[in-house]
Amino acid sequence: MLCAECDLLIQNKIIEEGSYLKCPRCGHVLYKQKYNTIIKSLALSITALICFYPAVTEPIMSLSMGGKEQHQNIIEGALVLLKEEHYIVAVLTFMCSLLIPLFRLLLLFYVTLSLSVNYFSPHLFWTFRLYHYMEEWGMLDVYMLGVIVSVVKLSSMAEIQFGFGFWMYAMLLICSIMANNELNHHEVWDRLLAKKKAFQ
Amino acid sequence: MNYYTGKEEGLVLCTECHTIHQFIPDVLMHCNRCGAELNQRKPNSLARTWALLLSSMILFIPANMLDIMNVTYFGQDDPSTIMGGVIVLIQLGSYPVAFVVFVASILVPLFKMFGILMILLSLKYHIDLTDKQRIKMFRVIDFIGRWSMLDIFVISILAALVNISGVAVITAGAGATAFSVVVVLTILAANSFDTRLLWDYKKLRS
Repeated sequence: MLCAECDLLIQNKIIEEGSYLKCPRCGHVLYKQKYNTIIKSLALSITALICFYPAVTEPIMSLSMGGKEQHQNIIEGALVLLKEEHYIVAVLTFMCSLLIPLFRLLLLFYVTLSLSVNYFSPHLFWTFRLYHYMEEWGMLDVYMLGVIVSVVKLSSMAEIQFGFGFWMYAMLLICSIMANNELNHHEVWDRLLAKKKAFQ
Repeated sequence: MNYYTGKEEGLVLCTECHTIHQFIPDVLMHCNRCGAELNQRKPNSLARTWALLLSSMILFIPANMLDIMNVTYFGQDDPSTIMGGVIVLIQLGSYPVAFVVFVASILVPLFKMFGILMILLSLKYHIDLTDKQRIKMFRVIDFIGRWSMLDIFVISILAALVNISGVAVITAGAGATAFSVVVVLTILAANSFDTRLLWDYKKLRS
């Protein structure tokens, strides 16, 4: 075994179910002995995908000020910035808070479903790699904190109410974090390789 | 204790699917399991990290000098910079949120840039930092990086929500673009740095 963070050569060790193997030199977690994670991830990714539609289309919050009311959902947030010609900020917000999380969930759904129903395609390999690549750029959690900060900022100027979209967004956030943490990447790679051999 | 690395033994690890392969020099290798490109070390890691780091440091100046947001409240313009936004929150009395915003948009980018700079300089000029210190610092940098996007999201939420003409309108400013580019560049800089170099350099010296 080689450590991904310091390239240390380590002898393969068999460890107990549910425990970790850490690199003795840099402390990087090399391996998690956890199985049957795929079906749990599949269930969580389906739940998250169901939450996605209302989270995006329903208003996150509404504001009333001077007798006028205003609703907002995530898509409008990016559209307003586009109209103001802040293209980079608009695209970045749209990608990180919506497009990449959605895309990652779909990829996860595709991979876990294929493994569960015994379907194989060579595309699964790059699909799962892409899922891993985009991990850092899905920023549902940061956006959630952004919503809370905005509420506090506005609380002195106007009255704020959380909309249905907010709660759906919170559900989406929880499910996608759990789906991500639950999944053992080593198990997915092992299963994919076994499938590849079986179908050759 | 004597340590051996994969590079010394002529092995290469696929960083995507964790398979180990025999390394063939001067050939562009791909993992036969997942198809990812195989490199013993990320190519031009240090040069790329330097370039991304320096450009993010340069952009950090306009990001803090220019207005990130403009609040028009009953016809009165009130532009604010990043620090201005924090001060407004303190005046409102919401100290926890002011602290969160201050940490996410000022401390984290600064810490990130100086942390990466320190790691790069310590490799270049052999400044004594233990490997444990370096790798811990790098892991913290890697983890906190995304949270600097907080202020950008806040601006986009506010700009969309507070748009009642005649009463209050919030628009984004040029500083927001600069700041978001700073965040992206620092994340890319952390990604292009290969942590395995930390140990290579130590071996080279001893």
